[in-house]
Amino acid sequence: MSYSATFKDHLAHPRNAGELPEATAVAEQTNPVCGDRLRLSLVVHNGRIEVARYLAYGCPPTLVCGSVLTELITGKTTTEAKQLTRADLLNAIGGLPSRKHHAAALAIEALNAALR
Amino acid sequence: MPDRRIYLDHSATTPVDPRVANAMARSVAENFGNPSSVHGFGQQARAAVDRARREVAALVNARPNEIIFTSGGTEANNLAIRGVCHGSTVAARHIVTSSIEHPSVRGVCAALESDGWEVTRLPVYEHGIVRIEDVRHAVRPDTVLVTIMLANNEIGTVQPISEIGAFVRERRAAGQKLFLHTDAVQAAGRMVLNVEDVGCDLLTLSAHKLYAPKGVGALYARRGVRLMGQNVGGHQERERRAGTENVPGIVAFGEAAKIAREELFERTAHDAALRDKFERKVGELIPDVVMNGDRERRLPHLSNTSFRYIEGEGLLINLDLQGIAVSTGSACSSGTLEPSPVIRALGVDDEIARGSLRFSFGKDNTDLDVDYTVEVLVQAVERLRALSPLSRPLVVS
Repeated sequence: MSYSATFKDHLAHPRNAGELPEATAVAEQTNPVCGDRLRLSLVVHNGRIEVARYLAYGCPPTLVCGSVLTELITGKTTTEAKQLTRADLLNAIGGLPSRKHHAAALAIEALNAALR
Repeated sequence: MPDRRIYLDHSATTPVDPRVANAMARSVAENFGNPSSVHGFGQQARAAVDRARREVAALVNARPNEIIFTSGGTEANNLAIRGVCHGSTVAARHIVTSSIEHPSVRGVCAALESDGWEVTRLPVYEHGIVRIEDVRHAVRPDTVLVTIMLANNEIGTVQPISEIGAFVRERRAAGQKLFLHTDAVQAAGRMVLNVEDVGCDLLTLSAHKLYAPKGVGALYARRGVRLMGQNVGGHQERERRAGTENVPGIVAFGEAAKIAREELFERTAHDAALRDKFERKVGELIPDVVMNGDRERRLPHLSNTSFRYIEGEGLLINLDLQGIAVSTGSACSSGTLEPSPVIRALGVDDEIARGSLRFSFGKDNTDLDVDYTVEVLVQAVERLRALSPLSRPLVVS
Protein backbone atom coordinates (compact mmCIF):
# COMPACT_ATOMS: atom_id res chain seq x y z
CA MET A 1 0.00 0.00 0.00
CA SER A 2 1.40 3.41 -0.82
CA TYR A 3 0.63 6.32 1.45
CA SER A 4 1.23 10.00 0.60
CA ALA A 5 4.24 11.93 1.87
CA THR A 6 1.86 13.97 4.06
CA PHE A 7 0.50 10.76 5.54
CA LYS A 8 3.96 9.41 6.37
CA ASP A 9 5.03 12.72 7.83
CA HIS A 10 2.04 12.84 10.20
CA LEU A 11 2.58 9.22 11.18
CA ALA A 12 6.24 9.78 12.03
CA HIS A 13 5.65 13.25 13.53
CA PRO A 14 2.15 13.44 14.98
CA ARG A 15 0.91 17.01 15.55
CA ASN A 16 -1.09 18.09 18.59
CA ALA A 17 -0.99 14.74 20.36
CA GLY A 18 -2.28 14.63 23.91
CA GLU A 19 -5.04 15.95 26.11
CA LEU A 20 -5.98 19.36 27.50
CA PRO A 21 -6.58 19.82 31.23
CA GLU A 22 -8.33 23.12 30.37
CA ALA A 23 -10.47 21.55 27.59
CA THR A 24 -13.93 22.99 27.12
CA ALA A 25 -15.05 20.02 25.01
CA VAL A 26 -13.91 16.39 24.95
CA ALA A 27 -15.31 13.58 22.81
CA GLU A 28 -14.25 10.03 22.12
CA GLN A 29 -15.52 7.88 19.29
CA THR A 30 -14.93 4.17 18.75
CA ASN A 31 -15.41 2.21 15.56
CA PRO A 32 -17.40 -0.81 16.75
CA VAL A 33 -16.21 -2.97 13.83
CA CYS A 34 -12.45 -2.64 14.16
CA GLY A 35 -12.03 -1.10 17.61
CA ASP A 36 -10.27 2.05 16.38
CA ARG A 37 -10.65 4.89 18.84
CA LEU A 38 -10.15 8.65 18.63
CA ARG A 39 -10.34 11.15 21.50
CA LEU A 40 -10.53 14.83 20.71
CA SER A 41 -10.02 17.62 23.28
CA LEU A 42 -10.75 21.25 22.41
CA VAL A 43 -10.47 24.65 23.96
CA VAL A 44 -13.23 26.73 22.37
CA HIS A 45 -13.23 30.41 23.20
CA ASN A 46 -15.70 32.95 21.79
CA GLY A 47 -16.91 30.44 19.23
CA ARG A 48 -13.42 29.72 17.94
CA ILE A 49 -11.31 26.56 18.38
CA GLU A 50 -8.15 27.87 19.97
CA VAL A 51 -6.43 24.60 20.82
CA ALA A 52 -7.06 21.01 19.67
CA ARG A 53 -5.41 17.81 20.88
CA TYR A 54 -6.06 14.19 20.02
CA LEU A 55 -5.31 10.64 21.13
CA ALA A 56 -5.79 7.71 18.80
CA TYR A 57 -5.62 3.93 18.81
CA GLY A 58 -5.91 1.89 15.66
CA CYS A 59 -4.61 1.50 12.17
CA PRO A 60 -2.25 4.15 10.74
CA PRO A 61 -5.01 6.08 8.89
CA THR A 62 -6.82 6.60 12.20
CA LEU A 63 -3.65 7.95 13.82
CA VAL A 64 -3.00 10.24 10.88
CA CYS A 65 -6.61 11.47 10.59
CA GLY A 66 -6.46 12.60 14.22
CA SER A 67 -3.26 14.52 13.61
CA VAL A 68 -4.44 16.17 10.38
CA LEU A 69 -7.86 16.99 11.83
CA THR A 70 -6.34 18.97 14.70
CA GLU A 71 -4.34 21.03 12.22
CA LEU A 72 -7.40 21.68 10.06
CA ILE A 73 -9.65 22.87 12.88
CA THR A 74 -7.27 24.94 14.99
CA GLY A 75 -8.22 28.61 14.58
CA LYS A 76 -11.53 27.85 12.88
CA THR A 77 -14.89 28.96 14.26
CA THR A 78 -17.11 26.14 15.43
CA THR A 79 -19.47 26.93 12.55
CA GLU A 80 -16.65 26.51 10.06
CA ALA A 81 -15.43 23.34 11.76
CA LYS A 82 -18.91 21.80 11.64
CA GLN A 83 -18.86 22.14 7.86
CA LEU A 84 -15.70 20.04 7.57
CA THR A 85 -16.43 16.78 5.72
CA ARG A 86 -14.80 13.41 5.40
CA ALA A 87 -13.76 14.38 1.86
CA ASP A 88 -12.00 17.52 3.15
CA LEU A 89 -10.02 15.41 5.58
CA LEU A 90 -9.17 12.81 2.94
CA ASN A 91 -7.98 15.57 0.60
CA ALA A 92 -5.78 17.06 3.30
CA ILE A 93 -4.16 13.65 3.89
CA GLY A 94 -3.51 13.12 0.21
CA GLY A 95 -6.11 10.35 -0.14
CA LEU A 96 -6.63 6.93 1.45
CA PRO A 97 -7.54 3.54 -0.01
CA SER A 98 -11.35 3.19 0.11
CA ARG A 99 -11.19 0.41 2.70
CA LYS A 100 -9.51 2.89 5.05
CA HIS A 101 -12.08 5.69 4.64
CA HIS A 102 -13.62 4.63 7.94
CA ALA A 103 -10.69 6.38 9.65
CA ALA A 104 -11.75 9.75 8.26
CA ALA A 105 -15.37 9.02 9.19
CA LEU A 106 -14.31 8.33 12.78
CA ALA A 107 -12.39 11.62 12.99
CA ILE A 108 -15.33 13.66 11.66
CA GLU A 109 -17.68 11.88 14.06
CA ALA A 110 -15.39 12.75 16.96
CA LEU A 111 -15.28 16.37 15.83
CA ASN A 112 -19.07 16.60 15.54
CA ALA A 113 -19.49 14.96 18.95
CA ALA A 114 -17.09 17.45 20.52
CA LEU A 115 -18.88 20.39 18.92
CA ARG A 116 -22.36 19.15 19.83
CA MET B 1 13.95 5.67 1.11
CA PRO B 2 15.74 5.27 4.47
CA ASP B 3 19.56 4.90 4.46
CA ARG B 4 19.43 1.60 6.20
CA ARG B 5 17.19 -1.33 5.28
CA ILE B 6 16.78 -4.34 7.54
CA TYR B 7 14.71 -7.31 6.49
CA LEU B 8 13.11 -9.12 9.45
CA ASP B 9 10.30 -10.85 7.60
CA HIS B 10 11.88 -14.19 6.67
CA SER B 11 8.69 -16.06 7.51
CA ALA B 12 6.95 -14.17 4.69
CA THR B 13 9.72 -14.86 2.21
CA THR B 14 13.51 -14.97 2.07
CA PRO B 15 16.00 -13.19 -0.16
CA VAL B 16 17.36 -15.45 -2.90
CA ASP B 17 20.78 -16.87 -2.02
CA PRO B 18 23.28 -15.83 -4.75
CA ARG B 19 24.33 -19.49 -5.15
CA VAL B 20 20.68 -20.37 -5.81
CA ALA B 21 20.26 -17.45 -8.21
CA ASN B 22 23.36 -18.64 -10.13
CA ALA B 23 22.05 -22.19 -10.41
CA MET B 24 18.72 -20.86 -11.62
CA ALA B 25 20.30 -18.49 -14.16
CA ARG B 26 22.39 -21.36 -15.57
CA SER B 27 19.27 -23.48 -15.84
CA VAL B 28 17.35 -20.75 -17.64
CA ALA B 29 20.18 -20.49 -20.16
CA GLU B 30 21.01 -24.16 -20.53
CA ASN B 31 17.96 -26.29 -19.71
CA PHE B 32 15.30 -24.89 -21.97
CA GLY B 33 14.18 -28.32 -23.15
CA ASN B 34 10.86 -29.77 -22.10
CA PRO B 35 11.55 -32.54 -19.56
CA SER B 36 8.84 -34.64 -21.24
CA SER B 37 10.64 -34.59 -24.62
CA VAL B 38 12.57 -37.68 -25.56
CA HIS B 39 15.41 -35.87 -27.36
CA GLY B 40 18.66 -34.69 -25.82
CA PHE B 41 17.43 -31.20 -24.93
CA GLY B 42 14.48 -32.67 -23.07
CA GLN B 43 16.60 -35.27 -21.31
CA GLN B 44 19.04 -32.61 -20.15
CA ALA B 45 16.13 -30.73 -18.52
CA ARG B 46 14.78 -34.00 -17.11
CA ALA B 47 18.16 -34.74 -15.53
CA ALA B 48 18.21 -31.30 -13.92
CA VAL B 49 14.71 -31.84 -12.48
CA ASP B 50 15.72 -35.28 -11.19
CA ARG B 51 18.83 -33.90 -9.50
CA ALA B 52 16.71 -31.26 -7.79
CA ARG B 53 14.18 -33.91 -6.78
CA ARG B 54 16.93 -35.89 -5.05
CA GLU B 55 18.04 -32.80 -3.11
CA VAL B 56 14.52 -31.88 -2.01
CA ALA B 57 13.89 -35.50 -1.01
CA ALA B 58 17.13 -35.54 0.98
CA LEU B 59 16.06 -32.43 2.90
CA VAL B 60 13.22 -34.42 4.48
CA ASN B 61 14.75 -37.91 4.19
CA ALA B 62 12.21 -39.03 1.59
CA ARG B 63 12.66 -41.08 -1.58
CA PRO B 64 12.90 -38.95 -4.74
CA ASN B 65 9.80 -40.53 -6.24
CA GLU B 66 7.81 -39.39 -3.23
CA ILE B 67 8.36 -35.72 -4.13
CA ILE B 68 5.80 -33.92 -6.32
CA PHE B 69 6.81 -30.47 -7.50
CA THR B 70 4.10 -27.80 -7.41
CA SER B 71 3.82 -24.05 -7.89
CA GLY B 72 4.27 -23.48 -4.16
CA GLY B 73 3.06 -24.30 -0.67
CA THR B 74 -0.54 -23.33 -1.30
CA GLU B 75 -0.88 -25.66 -4.27
CA ALA B 76 0.85 -28.45 -2.35
CA ASN B 77 -1.61 -28.00 0.55
CA ASN B 78 -4.53 -28.05 -1.90
CA LEU B 79 -3.18 -31.17 -3.58
CA ALA B 80 -2.58 -32.95 -0.28
CA ILE B 81 -5.96 -32.25 1.29
CA ARG B 82 -8.20 -32.41 -1.75
CA GLY B 83 -6.10 -35.17 -3.26
CA VAL B 84 -6.57 -37.45 -0.24
CA CYS B 85 -10.21 -36.54 0.34
CA HIS B 86 -11.23 -36.87 -3.31
CA GLY B 87 -9.10 -39.98 -3.70
CA SER B 88 -10.65 -41.68 -0.68
CA THR B 89 -12.34 -44.94 -1.52
CA VAL B 90 -14.28 -45.08 1.71
CA ALA B 91 -17.54 -43.29 2.42
CA ALA B 92 -15.93 -41.30 5.25
CA ARG B 93 -16.12 -37.52 5.11
CA HIS B 94 -14.39 -36.14 8.20
CA ILE B 95 -11.16 -34.11 8.57
CA VAL B 96 -9.30 -33.08 11.71
CA THR B 97 -7.22 -29.90 11.64
CA SER B 98 -6.02 -27.16 14.00
CA SER B 99 -7.37 -23.67 14.58
CA ILE B 100 -4.08 -22.00 13.60
CA GLU B 101 -3.42 -23.40 10.12
CA HIS B 102 -2.11 -21.27 7.27
CA PRO B 103 -4.93 -19.74 5.17
CA SER B 104 -4.20 -22.23 2.38
CA VAL B 105 -5.11 -25.15 4.66
CA ARG B 106 -7.92 -23.28 6.40
CA GLY B 107 -9.34 -22.33 3.01
CA VAL B 108 -9.31 -25.86 1.58
CA CYS B 109 -10.91 -27.26 4.72
CA ALA B 110 -13.63 -24.58 4.57
CA ALA B 111 -14.24 -25.34 0.88
CA LEU B 112 -14.58 -29.06 1.61
CA GLU B 113 -16.92 -28.23 4.48
CA SER B 114 -19.23 -26.42 2.11
CA ASP B 115 -19.13 -29.54 -0.08
CA GLY B 116 -20.50 -31.56 2.82
CA TRP B 117 -17.33 -32.67 4.60
CA GLU B 118 -17.16 -32.35 8.36
CA VAL B 119 -14.18 -30.52 9.81
CA THR B 120 -13.02 -30.55 13.43
CA ARG B 121 -10.70 -27.66 14.32
CA LEU B 122 -8.64 -28.34 17.42
CA PRO B 123 -7.80 -25.62 19.95
CA VAL B 124 -4.19 -24.69 20.66
CA TYR B 125 -4.58 -23.17 24.14
CA GLU B 126 -2.42 -20.33 25.47
CA HIS B 127 0.87 -21.80 24.25
CA GLY B 128 -0.26 -22.24 20.66
CA ILE B 129 0.17 -26.02 20.62
CA VAL B 130 -2.33 -28.75 19.78
CA ARG B 131 -2.76 -31.48 22.41
CA ILE B 132 -2.33 -35.07 21.30
CA GLU B 133 -5.22 -36.17 23.52
CA ASP B 134 -7.49 -33.77 21.62
CA VAL B 135 -6.40 -35.42 18.36
CA ARG B 136 -7.17 -38.85 19.83
CA HIS B 137 -10.63 -37.70 20.87
CA ALA B 138 -11.36 -35.92 17.59
CA VAL B 139 -10.49 -38.78 15.22
CA ARG B 140 -13.58 -40.84 14.46
CA PRO B 141 -14.01 -44.08 12.54
CA ASP B 142 -15.02 -41.98 9.51
CA THR B 143 -12.03 -39.59 9.66
CA VAL B 144 -9.97 -39.67 6.46
CA LEU B 145 -7.33 -37.04 7.11
CA VAL B 146 -5.57 -35.24 9.94
CA THR B 147 -3.93 -32.05 8.67
CA ILE B 148 -1.93 -30.12 11.25
CA MET B 149 1.00 -27.85 10.51
CA LEU B 150 4.50 -28.71 11.68
CA ALA B 151 5.28 -25.18 12.81
CA ASN B 152 3.06 -22.12 12.82
CA ASN B 153 3.77 -19.23 10.47
CA GLU B 154 2.87 -16.45 12.89
CA ILE B 155 4.10 -17.61 16.28
CA GLY B 156 6.47 -20.40 15.24
CA THR B 157 5.12 -22.99 17.67
CA VAL B 158 6.09 -26.56 16.78
CA GLN B 159 3.22 -29.03 16.89
CA PRO B 160 3.53 -32.60 18.25
CA ILE B 161 3.43 -34.15 14.78
CA SER B 162 5.53 -37.22 15.66
CA GLU B 163 3.06 -38.18 18.40
CA ILE B 164 0.14 -37.53 16.05
CA GLY B 165 1.93 -39.58 13.38
CA ALA B 166 2.35 -42.51 15.77
CA PHE B 167 -1.36 -42.35 16.62
CA VAL B 168 -2.38 -42.22 12.94
CA ARG B 169 -0.20 -45.28 12.25
CA GLU B 170 -1.87 -47.09 15.13
CA ARG B 171 -5.25 -46.38 13.65
CA ARG B 172 -4.08 -47.51 10.23
CA ALA B 173 -2.70 -50.72 11.69
CA ALA B 174 -6.17 -51.23 13.15
CA GLY B 175 -7.63 -51.01 9.63
CA GLN B 176 -8.73 -47.37 9.32
CA LYS B 177 -7.84 -45.55 6.07
CA LEU B 178 -6.52 -42.49 7.88
CA PHE B 179 -3.67 -40.23 6.69
CA LEU B 180 -1.61 -37.44 8.22
CA HIS B 181 -0.66 -34.31 6.30
CA THR B 182 1.59 -31.61 7.74
CA ASP B 183 2.38 -28.19 6.33
CA ALA B 184 6.13 -27.87 6.90
CA VAL B 185 6.59 -24.66 4.90
CA GLN B 186 7.85 -22.72 7.93
CA ALA B 187 9.73 -25.61 9.52
CA ALA B 188 11.85 -26.63 6.52
CA GLY B 189 15.39 -25.33 6.75
CA ARG B 190 14.78 -24.26 10.35
CA MET B 191 14.71 -27.64 12.07
CA VAL B 192 15.73 -31.21 11.26
CA LEU B 193 13.01 -32.79 9.14
CA ASN B 194 12.76 -36.50 8.67
CA VAL B 195 9.49 -37.86 7.32
CA GLU B 196 10.19 -41.21 9.00
CA ASP B 197 10.52 -39.60 12.43
CA VAL B 198 7.66 -37.19 11.80
CA GLY B 199 5.49 -40.12 10.77
CA CYS B 200 3.44 -38.12 8.30
CA ASP B 201 2.07 -39.37 4.98
CA LEU B 202 2.11 -36.00 3.25
CA LEU B 203 4.28 -32.96 3.88
CA THR B 204 4.25 -29.54 2.24
CA LEU B 205 7.36 -27.53 1.33
CA SER B 206 7.91 -24.14 -0.28
CA ALA B 207 11.10 -22.97 -1.95
CA HIS B 208 10.85 -19.26 -1.25
CA LYS B 209 11.13 -19.77 2.50
CA LEU B 210 14.48 -21.44 1.84
CA TYR B 211 16.31 -18.61 0.05
CA ALA B 212 14.99 -19.69 -3.36
CA PRO B 213 12.58 -17.77 -5.60
CA LYS B 214 8.79 -17.82 -5.48
CA GLY B 215 6.67 -20.03 -7.71
CA VAL B 216 7.86 -23.48 -6.69
CA GLY B 217 7.03 -25.88 -3.90
CA ALA B 218 6.68 -29.57 -3.30
CA LEU B 219 4.48 -32.14 -1.71
CA TYR B 220 6.01 -35.23 -0.17
CA ALA B 221 3.51 -38.08 -0.59
CA ARG B 222 4.50 -41.36 1.02
CA ARG B 223 4.58 -44.28 -1.38
CA GLY B 224 1.19 -45.97 -1.31
CA VAL B 225 -0.85 -42.89 -0.41
CA ARG B 226 -3.75 -42.66 -2.82
CA LEU B 227 -3.77 -39.11 -4.08
CA MET B 228 -6.11 -37.79 -6.74
CA GLY B 229 -4.37 -35.22 -8.93
CA GLN B 230 -6.01 -31.82 -8.88
CA ASN B 231 -4.29 -30.47 -11.98
CA VAL B 232 -5.16 -32.85 -14.77
CA GLY B 233 -4.29 -33.04 -18.46
CA GLY B 234 -0.71 -34.28 -18.48
CA HIS B 235 1.48 -37.13 -17.23
CA GLN B 236 3.96 -35.00 -15.28
CA GLU B 237 4.84 -35.75 -11.67
CA ARG B 238 3.64 -39.35 -11.99
CA GLU B 239 0.14 -38.25 -13.03
CA ARG B 240 -0.37 -36.26 -9.85
CA ARG B 241 0.38 -32.76 -11.09
CA ALA B 242 -0.13 -32.10 -14.78
CA GLY B 243 1.72 -29.25 -16.46
CA THR B 244 5.21 -28.66 -17.86
CA GLU B 245 7.65 -28.38 -14.98
CA ASN B 246 9.05 -25.01 -13.89
CA VAL B 247 12.56 -26.28 -14.59
CA PRO B 248 14.62 -23.24 -13.46
CA GLY B 249 12.45 -22.85 -10.35
CA ILE B 250 12.85 -26.53 -9.52
CA VAL B 251 16.62 -26.35 -10.07
CA ALA B 252 16.73 -23.36 -7.71
CA PHE B 253 14.67 -25.27 -5.14
CA GLY B 254 17.08 -28.22 -5.39
CA GLU B 255 20.11 -26.01 -4.85
CA ALA B 256 18.40 -24.22 -1.93
CA ALA B 257 17.43 -27.55 -0.34
CA LYS B 258 21.02 -28.81 -0.63
CA ILE B 259 22.41 -25.66 1.00
CA ALA B 260 19.69 -25.69 3.68
CA ARG B 261 20.67 -29.23 4.62
CA GLU B 262 24.40 -28.46 4.67
CA GLU B 263 24.03 -25.22 6.64
CA LEU B 264 21.07 -26.13 8.85
CA PHE B 265 22.84 -26.09 12.22
CA GLU B 266 24.84 -22.98 11.44
CA ARG B 267 21.70 -21.12 10.30
CA THR B 268 19.49 -22.16 13.17
CA ALA B 269 22.14 -21.25 15.77
CA HIS B 270 22.66 -17.88 14.08
CA ASP B 271 18.94 -17.08 13.86
CA ALA B 272 18.25 -18.22 17.42
CA ALA B 273 21.10 -16.08 18.82
CA LEU B 274 19.70 -12.97 17.10
CA ARG B 275 16.12 -13.73 18.06
CA ASP B 276 17.04 -14.36 21.70
CA LYS B 277 19.10 -11.20 21.90
CA PHE B 278 16.21 -9.25 20.37
CA GLU B 279 13.68 -10.61 22.86
CA ARG B 280 16.03 -10.03 25.79
CA LYS B 281 16.57 -6.39 24.84
CA VAL B 282 12.89 -5.76 24.11
CA GLY B 283 11.99 -7.27 27.49
CA GLU B 284 14.52 -5.04 29.23
CA LEU B 285 13.73 -1.79 27.44
CA ILE B 286 10.00 -1.83 26.67
CA PRO B 287 7.35 -2.26 29.38
CA ASP B 288 3.99 -3.94 28.79
CA VAL B 289 5.02 -6.42 26.11
CA VAL B 290 3.63 -9.92 25.71
CA MET B 291 5.62 -12.59 23.85
CA ASN B 292 3.10 -14.81 22.08
CA GLY B 293 3.29 -18.59 21.84
CA ASP B 294 5.31 -21.21 23.68
CA ARG B 295 8.81 -20.06 24.63
CA GLU B 296 10.50 -23.44 24.07
CA ARG B 297 8.64 -25.44 21.43
CA ARG B 298 9.04 -22.96 18.61
CA LEU B 299 11.13 -22.22 15.54
CA PRO B 300 14.50 -20.60 16.24
CA HIS B 301 14.16 -17.58 13.99
CA LEU B 302 10.83 -16.08 14.97
CA SER B 303 9.54 -13.76 17.67
CA ASN B 304 5.91 -12.74 17.93
CA THR B 305 5.50 -9.88 20.34
CA SER B 306 2.51 -7.77 21.33
CA PHE B 307 2.91 -4.19 22.49
CA ARG B 308 0.04 -3.13 24.73
CA TYR B 309 -1.94 0.06 24.03
CA ILE B 310 -0.91 0.23 20.38
CA GLU B 311 -1.96 -1.42 17.17
CA GLY B 312 0.48 -3.51 15.13
CA GLU B 313 0.04 -1.85 11.76
CA GLY B 314 0.90 1.63 13.07
CA LEU B 315 4.05 0.23 14.58
CA LEU B 316 4.83 -1.74 11.40
CA ILE B 317 4.65 1.39 9.23
CA ASN B 318 6.70 3.39 11.72
CA LEU B 319 9.40 0.71 11.49
CA ASP B 320 9.08 0.60 7.71
CA LEU B 321 9.66 4.36 7.52
CA GLN B 322 12.97 3.65 9.27
CA GLY B 323 13.81 0.84 6.84
CA ILE B 324 12.85 -2.13 9.03
CA ALA B 325 10.53 -4.75 7.50
CA VAL B 326 8.38 -6.88 9.83
CA SER B 327 4.82 -8.16 9.64
CA THR B 328 1.60 -8.16 11.56
CA GLY B 329 -1.13 -10.79 11.47
CA SER B 330 -0.61 -13.30 8.72
CA ALA B 331 1.33 -11.82 5.83
CA CYS B 332 -1.31 -13.08 3.43
CA SER B 333 -4.23 -11.52 5.29
CA SER B 334 -2.81 -8.11 6.14
CA GLY B 335 -5.26 -5.45 5.08
CA THR B 336 -8.13 -7.13 6.86
CA LEU B 337 -9.55 -5.35 9.86
CA GLU B 338 -9.80 -8.47 11.97
CA PRO B 339 -7.13 -9.23 14.55
CA SER B 340 -4.97 -12.22 13.69
CA PRO B 341 -6.98 -15.45 14.12
CA VAL B 342 -3.79 -17.22 15.21
CA ILE B 343 -3.12 -14.84 18.08
CA ARG B 344 -6.79 -14.90 19.04
CA ALA B 345 -6.66 -18.68 19.16
CA LEU B 346 -4.22 -18.27 22.07
CA GLY B 347 -7.14 -16.90 24.06
CA VAL B 348 -5.69 -13.39 24.45
CA ASP B 349 -7.80 -10.23 24.34
CA ASP B 350 -8.30 -8.23 21.14
CA GLU B 351 -5.84 -5.54 22.16
CA ILE B 352 -3.02 -8.08 22.47
CA ALA B 353 -4.03 -9.70 19.19
CA ARG B 354 -4.09 -6.35 17.38
CA GLY B 355 -0.80 -5.23 18.88
CA SER B 356 1.21 -8.23 17.71
CA LEU B 357 4.18 -8.02 15.39
CA ARG B 358 6.20 -10.84 13.90
CA PHE B 359 9.97 -10.41 13.70
CA SER B 360 11.54 -13.25 11.72
CA PHE B 361 15.32 -13.38 11.40
CA GLY B 362 17.44 -14.89 8.65
CA LYS B 363 20.94 -15.91 7.72
CA ASP B 364 22.04 -12.46 6.52
CA ASN B 365 20.91 -10.52 9.59
CA THR B 366 23.57 -9.29 12.00
CA ASP B 367 23.95 -8.28 15.64
CA LEU B 368 23.94 -4.65 14.52
CA ASP B 369 20.57 -5.20 12.82
CA VAL B 370 19.14 -6.26 16.18
CA ASP B 371 20.66 -3.24 17.96
CA TYR B 372 19.28 -0.81 15.37
CA THR B 373 15.85 -2.47 15.32
CA VAL B 374 15.49 -2.34 19.08
CA GLU B 375 16.61 1.30 19.11
CA VAL B 376 14.00 2.27 16.51
CA LEU B 377 11.35 0.08 18.13
CA VAL B 378 11.78 1.69 21.56
CA GLN B 379 11.23 5.15 20.04
CA ALA B 380 8.29 4.09 17.86
CA VAL B 381 6.51 2.32 20.73
CA GLU B 382 7.02 5.36 22.95
CA ARG B 383 5.67 7.70 20.27
CA LEU B 384 2.59 5.58 19.59
CA ARG B 385 1.87 5.03 23.27
CA ALA B 386 1.98 8.79 23.82
CA LEU B 387 -0.87 8.92 21.30
CA SER B 388 -2.91 6.08 22.72
CA PRO B 389 -6.15 6.69 24.61
CA LEU B 390 -6.22 3.09 25.85
CA SER B 391 -4.13 3.59 28.95
CA ARG B 392 -5.87 6.81 30.01
CA PRO B 393 -9.41 7.04 31.31
CA LEU B 394 -11.71 9.41 29.51
CA VAL B 395 -12.54 12.38 31.76
CA VAL B 396 -15.36 14.57 30.53
CA SER B 397 -15.74 17.78 32.49
